[in-house]
Amino acid sequence: MNDDIILDIQNVTKRFPGVTALKNVSIQVKRGEIHGLCGENGAGKSTLMKILSGVYPYGTYEGTVIYNGEELKLEGSSIHQAAELGIATVYQELTLVPLMTVGENVYLGKEPIHRKSIDWNFVYANTKEILSRYRLDVDPRATVKDLGVGKMQMVEIAKALSEDAKVLILDEPTSALTEAEIDKLMEILEILKSHEVTCIYITHKLAEFFRTTDTVTVLRDGETVVTKPTNELTEELLVSYMVGREMTERFPTGDRKPGEVIFEVQGLRATDPNNSSREVLKGVSFDLRKGEILGIAGLMGAGRTELVTTIFGEYGKITDGSIVLEGEELKIKNSRDAIEYGISLVPEDRKGQGLVLIQSILNNVSLPNLNQFAHFGRLDKDAELRASMQQASDLAIKAPNLQVLVSALSGGNQQKVVIAKWLMSDPKILIMDDPTRGVDVGAKYEIYKLMNKLAEQGVSIIMISSELEEVLGMSDRVMVMHEGRSNGTLTIADATQEKIMALATGIG
Amino acid sequence: MKDSSNLASAFRRNIQTYAIIIALIAIWVFFAFLTDGNYLKPQNFSNIFRQMTVTGLMAIGMVIVIVTGNIDLSVGKLAGFVSIVVAYFQAEIWTDVLPDQAILAATLSVFIGLSVGVLWGILQGWIISFLSVPSFIVTLGSMFILNGAILLVTQGKTIPANQPGLSYIAQGYLSPIMGWILAALVVAYLYIHMYRSRASKKKHGFELSSMAQDVGLTTFFALLVVGYVYIVNQYNGVQVPVLILAVASVVLSYMSTNTRFGRYAYAIGGNREAARLSGINIRSNIFLVFVLMGFLCGVAGVVLASYVGYGTIAAGQGYELDVIAAAILGGTSTLGGVGTIWGALIGALIMSSLSNGLQLMNVAPSWQYLLKGVVLVLAVYADVTFKKRS
Repeated sequence: MNDDIILDIQNVTKRFPGVTALKNVSIQVKRGEIHGLCGENGAGKSTLMKILSGVYPYGTYEGTVIYNGEELKLEGSSIHQAAELGIATVYQELTLVPLMTVGENVYLGKEPIHRKSIDWNFVYANTKEILSRYRLDVDPRATVKDLGVGKMQMVEIAKALSEDAKVLILDEPTSALTEAEIDKLMEILEILKSHEVTCIYITHKLAEFFRTTDTVTVLRDGETVVTKPTNELTEELLVSYMVGREMTERFPTGDRKPGEVIFEVQGLRATDPNNSSREVLKGVSFDLRKGEILGIAGLMGAGRTELVTTIFGEYGKITDGSIVLEGEELKIKNSRDAIEYGISLVPEDRKGQGLVLIQSILNNVSLPNLNQFAHFGRLDKDAELRASMQQASDLAIKAPNLQVLVSALSGGNQQKVVIAKWLMSDPKILIMDDPTRGVDVGAKYEIYKLMNKLAEQGVSIIMISSELEEVLGMSDRVMVMHEGRSNGTLTIADATQEKIMALATGIG
Repeated sequence: MKDSSNLASAFRRNIQTYAIIIALIAIWVFFAFLTDGNYLKPQNFSNIFRQMTVTGLMAIGMVIVIVTGNIDLSVGKLAGFVSIVVAYFQAEIWTDVLPDQAILAATLSVFIGLSVGVLWGILQGWIISFLSVPSFIVTLGSMFILNGAILLVTQGKTIPANQPGLSYIAQGYLSPIMGWILAALVVAYLYIHMYRSRASKKKHGFELSSMAQDVGLTTFFALLVVGYVYIVNQYNGVQVPVLILAVASVVLSYMSTNTRFGRYAYAIGGNREAARLSGINIRSNIFLVFVLMGFLCGVAGVVLASYVGYGTIAAGQGYELDVIAAAILGGTSTLGGVGTIWGALIGALIMSSLSNGLQLMNVAPSWQYLLKGVVLVLAVYADVTFKKRS
């Protein structure tokens, strides 16, 4: 019986500074099955896959992984090592070089050498062989950028599969695919199964588990909750496994009395700025009251970040719908307009979008607010310093002085710098995109307290969060998005994790 | 105890600045040794500084250009073009229209030279920022165009520009008395500035560095100014072009730290995305950076015409290399976001110190180029190594 287990993960624990991402995780994957892996954002799915693919090498985690009867000891020196052993991974983001051909991509980094030169005939012949074996309908000599996303995904799979792949890990392969392309992927999975390739399938779309998988394991907060044959499960059961936990006292209590509606978004539709045929927002409506915290929940790819960056004037091209602030319809062309209207955005990617890492706290905090301090082109540095020091002390930014470079600060303090920079402009609406991502528990609590204080002072806050607990702990109301649409708004009294998950996965 | 640790940490932070100053002193000592001290005699000392002015004027603008993540390859040719336009007006136009009006003619020439620089900057800036063509390409093309324009205006001939009014710009000197008055004013300002900055720090409850430390530092700079004036006064006095460069540097340095324009430039180079989301108008800012660069090329071109006394087809040839090298030597990061005006000035001084020393020793131009290249790569290698260690 034990022969049937190709991958036996035993009591694996993975710690990061300040966080334990996996706690005693044990999963047994049978040879030839499609094994679904299910869990909220941050449940530990990606960490587990990175252990299997060697991104986190042997020795950086506790516990053992038995693969094909032997302990798996990946060195992490080359990402090809796992693939050579037969464990192939297809990552969520496409990893292809767009200007190269399919064959060049499949053999990238492992080009066959014949008489000191790359053997291109071998490359194209073998790529063709792999593609036809799994009935992937792609021309090996086509340039990748000319392929659709669905075919790119197939190339990605072909690249991952070496001649004798035994296990294929698919991390959210369908997040960018259309319905027809998903159907095709499902067929490919069946073909792989007939070739005795074992699949580990990660997705946020619960329905897909019931289309393809034989077994599903649910992870929650880094722990295995349950492993069951798919036919013993329902979507409702999965949701309850995913979120079934007690709320703890992690959120400060606020004393807020939201006022009248000041901000309203109606039927907002927008397209991808780089691809006007791709609609990223397909009808979003919500309103926001003065001094309210509105949580926006949804799964990855539901369009939450696209929504707020579009409102801020820096992402999508609006094709329909209206944005109204205090009775005035806004025409926001760029972030300058948004700031002018009193809308601020704490962006999702703190280091990439929020901060100039090589500059001081002072320069970062005052950057969007220099107009306040300019007199006939000259900056009043005293006033700038005074205002920045005020913000820094209000927010309890921990640093010896404001000349410290932000790159030297902890994640929590960096986030406070981003918030400080936006509070100085005295916004009416503060949009916070995943404000506590990568922030330790103590600093999280301080950020929550700050949000409560701001709301009490009359600032309206829109908070995107991937953590359901955070959404429930902080919001007055919760708007749930699903595939570019607002799929319903719940008052906090009504909202439960199950209801939010149901709306977010589109089954509610 | 505390002061010494402060000094040590300040030293570590500024190691790059010190490294380049040490390099400069090493070069001076090296050439002084090889030329039996002639290199540092007042006349040659004065010349070294005069020779850095054209490069220096463009290098301080190049710092801002590179800080925003751009490059300008056309600066040498633009300064060259401006110099021949100035020469052309001096020799061909004013002699007919304004005979015997040296001052007025020179003033008009300067005005025309600056305008040509600014207009070219506007054109380049507009194409780069509003038409989104990479600055490398635009300025490379611009280099070819200006080369053609230089040939068109000169018709391959040399145009004299040695009229007294114009010559004063690069070849004039302040009288020793004027030099001392100027030095006194600068020294007075240094102490007043120190006092004000301490008062401001005190007002904001900042930890003050010790009085002795501040006075020591200010006195050090004051001595540099006094010493400089003392040496050049032994030759002809404070050089007018060096004065122009000093004023331009003070203005640019002020702009880079005390105006929105400067602060935005550093933010754009440091993280373009964060700058954009902070509501900064990236296009108009980069446009202005190139207009400023054009203006400084205009100033450099006027000084160049006055310095060499004629306009030739070779005017400004290869200057862009010295200018970019000066900015990089001065610690400007090619990745953008980092660089100072004062650093670029020292970089320009190193370039002119090298050229001057090698010329003094009659080293062939081929070896001059070779050595400059080696110095540039070595300096950046040293910088990279220092940064890795700290």
